[in-house]
Amino acid sequence: MELEFKVNDKAYSLEVDPESRLLDVLREELGLTGAKEGCGEGECGACTVIMDDLAVNSCLVLASQARGKEILTVEGLAANGELDRMQQAFIDNGAIQCGFCTPGMLMSAKALLLREPNPTEEEIRTALAGNLCRCTGYVNIVNAVKDAASAEETEGSV
Amino acid sequence: MTEDKRMYGHADDLAQPNELKYVGHNVPLHDAVAKATGKIQYTGDMEFPGMLYVKILFSPLAHARIKKIDASAALALPGVVAVFTHANTPETLYNSQVWFAGQEARADERLFCDTVRFVGDRVAAVVATDKKTAAKAVSLIKVEYEVLPALFDPEEALTENAIEIHPGGSPFFEKEFGCGITSETFNKAELIVEDRVETPKIHHAAMETHVCIAIPDYSGKITIYTPCQILYSVRLVVAKVLRLPYNKVRILKTPMGGSFGGKQEVTIEPLAAFFAQATGKPVKIEYNRQESIISTRTRTRTIGYVRTAVDKNGKILAREVKAIVDTGAYTSNGSVVSMAMGKKIFRLYRIENQVFRVQAVHTNTPVAGAARGYGSPQIHAITEINLDHVANRLGLDPVEFRLRNLVHPYDQDLSGGPSLGNARIIDCVEEGAKLFRWQERRAQANGNGSGRFRRGVGMACATHSNGYFGAFQDFTTMTLRMLEDGSMILNSGIHELGCGTVTTMKQIIAEVIDINPDRIEAPEGDTETSPYDVGSQSSRVTHICGAGALKTAHKVKEIFQREAAKILGCEPEDVVMHAEIVWAKSKPEEKMTYGEMARAIQRKNRMEIIATETYQAADNPGSYGANFVEVEVDTLTGLVRVIDLLAVHDVGKAINPGFVKGQIYGGVQMGIGLALSEDLRIDPKNGKVKGDSFARYHLINAPDMPLVNVLLIEKGGDLGPFGAKSIGEIATCPTAPAVVNAVNQALGTNLTTLPLTPERILAALRE
Ligand code: FES
Ligand code: FES
Repeated sequence: MELEFKVNDKAYSLEVDPESRLLDVLREELGLTGAKEGCGEGECGACTVIMDDLAVNSCLVLASQARGKEILTVEGLAANGELDRMQQAFIDNGAIQCGFCTPGMLMSAKALLLREPNPTEEEIRTALAGNLCRCTGYVNIVNAVKDAASAEETEGSV
Repeated sequence: MTEDKRMYGHADDLAQPNELKYVGHNVPLHDAVAKATGKIQYTGDMEFPGMLYVKILFSPLAHARIKKIDASAALALPGVVAVFTHANTPETLYNSQVWFAGQEARADERLFCDTVRFVGDRVAAVVATDKKTAAKAVSLIKVEYEVLPALFDPEEALTENAIEIHPGGSPFFEKEFGCGITSETFNKAELIVEDRVETPKIHHAAMETHVCIAIPDYSGKITIYTPCQILYSVRLVVAKVLRLPYNKVRILKTPMGGSFGGKQEVTIEPLAAFFAQATGKPVKIEYNRQESIISTRTRTRTIGYVRTAVDKNGKILAREVKAIVDTGAYTSNGSVVSMAMGKKIFRLYRIENQVFRVQAVHTNTPVAGAARGYGSPQIHAITEINLDHVANRLGLDPVEFRLRNLVHPYDQDLSGGPSLGNARIIDCVEEGAKLFRWQERRAQANGNGSGRFRRGVGMACATHSNGYFGAFQDFTTMTLRMLEDGSMILNSGIHELGCGTVTTMKQIIAEVIDINPDRIEAPEGDTETSPYDVGSQSSRVTHICGAGALKTAHKVKEIFQREAAKILGCEPEDVVMHAEIVWAKSKPEEKMTYGEMARAIQRKNRMEIIATETYQAADNPGSYGANFVEVEVDTLTGLVRVIDLLAVHDVGKAINPGFVKGQIYGGVQMGIGLALSEDLRIDPKNGKVKGDSFARYHLINAPDMPLVNVLLIEKGGDLGPFGAKSIGEIATCPTAPAVVNAVNQALGTNLTTLPLTPERILAALRE
């Protein structure tokens, strides 16, 4: 099957097996290895990417479902070399340890701010409910998201 | 690099102000940017030309003899390079946890055996040009089994007619040790309180599953890329199985996507190495989640019987602890973890008469091994739940009861272990109780009302080690040099597990040399080029490797000053090193950068600024921690919500307080899981793991996670760098018993079988 879609603002046209998972297309065809596989069944969120502004588990999305969509992966967050606010907030808040959950966490958090620029702590925790982390206890991840949201707000009001 | 003031701004910041420039500061993780941008390459992200992929066939039966394997259909599939079984792989027996040459350990594991001993044991492997073909081929392998009787219950393993999983049967290890005279003391006691406490097998649940790559070369050398914890342990086992000299096996530590002990033992590396040797191609093995859960390592299931004798003032007169340690189908670290558990009980309370008895057994269940805390979370669950029971029976507040019995700084280990060092558990408990408002909250909660939701407040204490001193050889060797531009390289056998080891070493060196930590490279270990290190285990890294970095940095400083003195025409002690600028005290106007000086030293003195030092561990103080926690139990559903938790830890000195807190937050997450939800749940009928996916194995997620406050007690006093002690393992040790004790207060129960699932809670409420 021919897959035409946009990844990180770049248009692609690829010949792929319609049964293949978006995660494999990204990792194996496009060499975008930022999204990780932690479970392969939609339970850990390590493979999270943003598809048309919504966070999705790319291990559950078939290539055929990605047709005509716009995908944003962790590699697209700092597209012009400058770190995204969310990335900077994760670094500043010590939200990264082994880093394996980080790409997925960043994309879930980013998608949350796209739909809710000023989330409550509860909304943050709910948005991250499908992203497992074994290292951080989520404490500094939640802090980072709060931080990024308030930075975004300040910027918006200027 | 500048310290970001906002860092950890939301967390309580209780670190002491200090005059140190880098140590004690929140320097960010060295590879945080690479991780935040997705650029870092974990092993699963790495590809090599011509690489082959592996799919393993795992046993569906708990105990069986393999009668026949027919791999012809698999081999006929285009793309399949080889199929390996017990018939065409080495018969060498090995033990997966040996970490030093000459270590005695029962070797009962093979790459593939003609008998399978648990559901998830390895039967065969397909090596193919791509993953899909390998998976397809594995499904075409036909195996005929002769089913053997199986046993899943560790206590059944100790019965008269129990089957033998390995020759000699169970227990395969037994030990008793202690101090004082227990039996007589029990007779004199005011009160004796007994409990049976059980902890489950749990999955380490690193987000990165098990993965490694082995690459052969024309000279017969095998290079292995692996996210491991002990490079030299991998080398030992691989060299043994492949019959190669140590210098023909090269292990490279790759970025770690989480381990917690799960990647400490050598599980898939010898397989990949053998397949690479046999096929002459790079070989990658990458497990999926289910495979990592059932076929690698688990936390050791432990059943404890405790009897504690007290007088009426709440002084512990004597205690007996009996532990049954279920190591699963292969021995792994069964005896070592048994001993590690026992040693802890002599290092937390002043108990003059105490005995520990342990029996380690095999069962037809997944293999246990190293797991964050190495037996400490289990033994502390056993003893700390019992102590709350004792306090209740005495009518004493659990904090008060503990304070009457806790060890004091520089107490001796009455079982003969190393001195406890500056053991500050009393400070942890006293200051923690104050900050948590223990008295008030405990009285308020107290099972609060008889409505649907009941509140409870609980606490627990724990201790853990700082390396192997007193038990096994422990030392580290490091080489540090200054390059001609003033930058530095530390060459050592360190392993970054995501905890901040690399940055910690840099901070220590930076403090001594007065150089920006960003100007230091501290690559992780490579067995071909790095000096020896015992590995990232036994909570030794900051305490021992950190002391090694400190010693080596001082030596480099001494050499630099000695050589610079010749250039500057002064005495070595008059050479001032400040912020990468050097001058003679008497001539402050003549300044040189470190780089200029290093070049001058090379040119004029024909010397390099380099030192190799060995640091020999000479102490093993206890790290201590106490958790205070409030829970709410829903008596309708049996669900427990942890509301908030205070973790107080005696860490000697936090080299990087942000990292220390990071360890504590993660440790608490793991501890709550152990208390409430995590369990492999082995089916007693067939030995299958019911919790074999994240859909069926519940990890604490962001909404479940309570508020966590941290209080660090930093009183130094031991031999770690700047007084630092371990945190990574102790961080998880007090949590589970604190949560259980809180639930027991809420419900007025004495629940002792972990995890406290809704079913268990509802059953207890019905009683
Ligand atoms: S890999 Fe997709 S959710 Fe776990
Ligand atoms: S940082 Fe390791 S899993 Fe989240």
